[in-house]
Amino acid sequence: MTKPLVLLLGEIEHAHEEWASISEIADIIEPKARSREEFIKECKSGAFDNVVATYRTFQSVAITGLIDEELIALLPRSLKFIAHNGAGYDQIDVHACTAHGIRVSNVPTAVDDATADTNMFLILGALRGFNTSMIALRNGHWKGSPPPPLGHDPQGKVLGILGMGGIGRNLKKKAEAFGMTVQYYNRSKLSEELSGGAKYVGFDELLKTSDVLSLNLPLNKQTRHIISTKEFEQMKKGVVIVNTARGAVMDEAALVVALEKGQVWSCGLDVFEEEPKVHAGLIANPHVMLVPHMGTWTVETQTKMETWCIDNIRSAIEKGKLMSPVGEQKDI
Amino acid sequence: MISKPRILFLNPVRHAHPVYKNLSSVTQPELLSSKSRAELFQDFKGKYNNITAIYSTSSSYALAGKFDKELIQHLPPSLKFICHNGAGYDNIDIEACTARGIKVTNAPDPVTDATADLAIFLLLGALRQLNPAIFSLRNGNFKTGIDFGHDPQGKTLGVLGMGRIGRAVKRRAEPFGMKTIYHNRNKLNEDDAAGAEYVSFGRLLGESDIISVHVPLNSRTKHLIGEQEIQKMKDGVVIVNTARGAVIDEAAMTAALEAGKIAAVGLDVYEREPEINQILAKNSRALLIPHLGTHTTETLAKMETLAMENARRGCLGESLLTVVAEQLEKAGALTNEH
Repeated sequence: MTKPLVLLLGEIEHAHEEWASISEIADIIEPKARSREEFIKECKSGAFDNVVATYRTFQSVAITGLIDEELIALLPRSLKFIAHNGAGYDQIDVHACTAHGIRVSNVPTAVDDATADTNMFLILGALRGFNTSMIALRNGHWKGSPPPPLGHDPQGKVLGILGMGGIGRNLKKKAEAFGMTVQYYNRSKLSEELSGGAKYVGFDELLKTSDVLSLNLPLNKQTRHIISTKEFEQMKKGVVIVNTARGAVMDEAALVVALEKGQVWSCGLDVFEEEPKVHAGLIANPHVMLVPHMGTWTVETQTKMETWCIDNIRSAIEKGKLMSPVGEQKDI
Repeated sequence: MISKPRILFLNPVRHAHPVYKNLSSVTQPELLSSKSRAELFQDFKGKYNNITAIYSTSSSYALAGKFDKELIQHLPPSLKFICHNGAGYDNIDIEACTARGIKVTNAPDPVTDATADLAIFLLLGALRQLNPAIFSLRNGNFKTGIDFGHDPQGKTLGVLGMGRIGRAVKRRAEPFGMKTIYHNRNKLNEDDAAGAEYVSFGRLLGESDIISVHVPLNSRTKHLIGEQEIQKMKDGVVIVNTARGAVIDEAAMTAALEAGKIAAVGLDVYEREPEINQILAKNSRALLIPHLGTHTTETLAKMETLAMENARRGCLGESLLTVVAEQLEKAGALTNEH
């Protein structure tokens, strides 16, 4: 009996043993394509016919481009499962997948700690204004001239969390150890137990009353540019903003303007609208802390994420269903 | 009419202005005008010959030089108090002050939070290898070729020196899932240790995934960590120092970092500030901050306030709040208020 076919889009970097065990229950193929054009050609050539499930990474978008209607329509009819290695799955048009009978899974929870840790690092870095002097020191100027601006302590500051999911709730616990008071806005109010006593406020109040604003929501049609010029104008003057979610939830060009005006005092960013491109206005600003999407870039978390995603593939093959279907498909 | 006691401010107050204003109603504060250490010595005989207290900061040594035996000897007989607005006072010869009947106060509490916050920033940045990533982005390469870091969850944090700052670091380390062990001159009581395990210096070196330095600098702690100590550490250890540079042999640490024995360092202090070992300064796995441990508006205001309050109390004959530890240990010394 032939084994089912699994398409690998992207690389396995850590969980090699787990991936090797998939070869016992499936045959694995990889694309020869190195661009979307080539990938589309390869699909049309029938190279992926009979593929039942695909494991894809965030970085594989460099080959396939977004998993949108155009691409999905060209995938083999046999394909029933896409296991995405990541928490954010905005690269995939889930609606189109559903329409074509394809189920999608992501990797929740395993990303929480590492992302919240990165988030806390950025809150401290931006609030304390360390970046300017980190650069001055590396250029041989010690603190720099003029001396760096004075930073601010987190104690007693209000941290506003936009999106109180797993990462937001994880962040709350860490921020409180630094004496911050946490409030949040979420599509729905959480139970006391889940929110850990954090104050639930309306979106406008979150903007108006937070000293530090942290973006921890997924990117989709409703949240694209949810933070833009109008929202910056509502915020406290001198607010600090941190984003470890997706670049496009914030209007990057508008952020640059807000920084120039002093409306936003500093920011800490791990994500950007057009990664790996970063707005020139941010690069030119030494006072902001910019990290190149390192949110889950650790040996331990990457291994956990790959393992989780591989388990989804195994579940798809052995049980005919995914372990962790994305929210939009949970009720199907 | 008795004139108000004089307080010589070696550096101006920049944040706690209302407190300075209040001080002026019961004392006579004035800002130093001497242009050099030599001129200061002369002025101690001249226009400053009846000052009661000195207010100093970590920036005071630039002009006055260290507060060593020579300087202490030149102080006028009227001088009874040196009120330092920092926590570290390794540049003040306490013995010489005690011999002259001069009380020295520092500012331990205000620095605790800001220093502990920075220690965790450095810990996360070093453990997660974020420094190479930050500079890679600014050099136009985004994430290309950037190595993986490690998570703090499940790692052992070794706190060297479990004073206020060490304990504050432990409290912050907790929600990141780190287990804390500590070494201190003395074992802490259960409440203060708050669950951290007391270990020997050797065990701290051998069992820690991350070592964070929180001891004051003195003759016993200079180069407390050198080549031999580094050899005892785990391969891939991360070292954080927000205390004083000279507690660690900078050259030995640099060599071990270059060799990969130390995976990354997070430093706020250096042996010969503002000079930094040139090889260290070029290693991207070194997250380096130029001594900004308390560089916030809120903390600087608190430090200034405490030093001024000690000066006020001294001048008015009230008990001092934070006399340095060495002077408290002496028989007959004033005890601290709290």
